[in-house]
Amino acid sequence: MTPVPGIARNRRGLSSLPALAGLLLLTLGLSVFLGVADLSVSDIMSVLAGNGSPEAQSIILDIRLPRIVTGGLAGIHFAVAGLILQTITRNPLADPSIMGVSQGATLSVTLFLLFSVFLRDPGTTARITEMPLEWLPAVGMVGGLIAGAAVYALAFRRDLGPLRITLCGIAIGAVLHAIAIGLIAGWGSARIEVLLEWLSGSLYARSWEHALFLAPFTIAGLLALLPIRRALDLLQFEAPVARSFGLPYRQHFSFALFLSCGLAASAVGAVGPIVFVGLIVPHLARALAGAKTQLLLPLTVTLGAITITSGDLIGRLVSQADEIPIGAVTAVCGVPLLIALLRRTP
Amino acid sequence: MLLACSKLTVTYGGRIALKSFDLTLQPGEVRALIGPNGSGKSTALQAMAGLLRPSGGRAVIDGVAVDAIPRRRLARQLAYLPQQPTAPDEMTVAQLVRQGRFAHVGLLRSYSADDEATIGWALESTGLLALADRPLRELSGGERQRAWISAAIAQEARILLLDEPTSFLDIGYQVEIIDLVYRLSRERGVSIVMAIHDLNQAMSVCDRISLLAKGETVFDGDPKDLAETGLIETVFRVRGTFVPIAPNAPPHFDVELAHRQMRDGVLAR
Ligand SMILES: Nc1ncnc2c1ncn2[C@@H]1O[C@H](COP(=O)(O)OP(=O)(O)OP(=O)(O)O)[C@@H](O)[C@H]1O
Ligand SMILES: [Mg+2]
Repeated sequence: MTPVPGIARNRRGLSSLPALAGLLLLTLGLSVFLGVADLSVSDIMSVLAGNGSPEAQSIILDIRLPRIVTGGLAGIHFAVAGLILQTITRNPLADPSIMGVSQGATLSVTLFLLFSVFLRDPGTTARITEMPLEWLPAVGMVGGLIAGAAVYALAFRRDLGPLRITLCGIAIGAVLHAIAIGLIAGWGSARIEVLLEWLSGSLYARSWEHALFLAPFTIAGLLALLPIRRALDLLQFEAPVARSFGLPYRQHFSFALFLSCGLAASAVGAVGPIVFVGLIVPHLARALAGAKTQLLLPLTVTLGAITITSGDLIGRLVSQADEIPIGAVTAVCGVPLLIALLRRTP
Repeated sequence: MLLACSKLTVTYGGRIALKSFDLTLQPGEVRALIGPNGSGKSTALQAMAGLLRPSGGRAVIDGVAVDAIPRRRLARQLAYLPQQPTAPDEMTVAQLVRQGRFAHVGLLRSYSADDEATIGWALESTGLLALADRPLRELSGGERQRAWISAAIAQEARILLLDEPTSFLDIGYQVEIIDLVYRLSRERGVSIVMAIHDLNQAMSVCDRISLLAKGETVFDGDPKDLAETGLIETVFRVRGTFVPIAPNAPPHFDVELAHRQMRDGVLAR
């Protein structure tokens, strides 16, 4: 029997995972210790040890930690959703927005805010604090899923090809986006702020409720990925090839699509449409993993969490009290990264 | 009888690409499909692999229509090499060949020593052991084609459908793949249907040969008999002669090249 040579050429992939895990811990730590409110290190340490002043406790436990956890989970969602979509559509530019998920969520949140304000308080301008913000994640997620389902149904009626999915997604996404923008434009001023905040992707005032909203989806999504890893490998091929290797293509394509839409829609609901994470993180992970494709998923998960946590930290620190929303940070940092990645690929 | 097509008809948007195609394949038989470009060879193979829905007729394995067999079970019985497959950029040769085992391991079972041995055998049979860890994108056209052949034979199916397996190979590897096909059929009892353009290779290796022209089967039988029909010259619009090369072997087709006459004419002048 001839031994099959191991895939040993690429050592980068192997060492990058612990390094990234370290980096993740570092960003998490920094995010706890650095922020707009000036807390001394000893204050923070004592909070972490279970004591500390009530003020420090509330800043760390009720503001910073839930924000970090929510951001990290959302980052994982966007990155993994992007990875799945890029894999199954064989389109390196795919991200959750091509399934219309972000746009569907945007429209549903817009409609929801519009109607809830209108129904609650007809005639007057409701104050932002009275808005039913606790519903936004669920509403956004449902909107995102409906848009994803519409794209799926349109593409499914003919053949469920990757190109058709992409085109349907772009078309439906554009329509939904236009409607949402139209509604926002024709609408009063006071409430726009909440919406803009959400639209630009923000971690401001994210509470444990947001983290708890996301966590079940994160766990279910990642667990569901494990048994379909080989199917995802095969979905990288054209349908006839995947089929002749023995994969029921349509079922697995649909399931993977459903999984990525669920991950993306729940994250969009919780933190708004944060752009570029779903697009870029999978490319970074691929560059680091090289031929060690089994590392692709763990690297994507780690990098997804790092990207949002560090992006949020930068946004908080750069402008102090007037935070720059995370969505703006990822967009600004994402473009040079994308260009750099494009330059190094042959 | 292992694989049988009866009156298989395939149309693409109203245009008939394959008309009433009949074929029977015995265990261990090598069948060559020849015919001009666009004559329906790839179409026939895809229909046999259950990848196209025929508009008429059917292909059956052991009496069951191929499109009624669940994909993974079908893949354990039948492996198919497309004419011009593409693979993801980063995938290495070994990773591609591993996909050939999916039909056996499925989503969850881990690769056994047997699976690994088969992968090693498939790589070795196609001369790829030294290239196993190279990404496909860094390979030459012929090396890539061998990697795909390797993945198809790693599937260890009883039926192997090969669409032009030798078209990008140098003459050395062409002979090696033709020999591999022959050995698979004789030593392992694999039944093979192979679309191929090299007439002499087709005639030398196959037990039976089908000649397609514009979607219709114009010949189905023993390669030696094909020589006597004169169909090659009409279907391919060439002139040539069949030259006997050995007592028991099918004759070689020696095609007359147009420029030879021209050159001879120039030289004679
Ligand atoms: N996907 C398709 N859509 C429409 N027409 C097709 C498609 N595939 C093949 N055809 C047509 O069907 C006919 C048969 O094509 P097929 O690919 O089977 O030929 P072939 O014998 O394999 O040719 P070649 O030697 O060039 O590989 C051709 O006329 C071709 O134009
Ligand atoms: Mg062909």
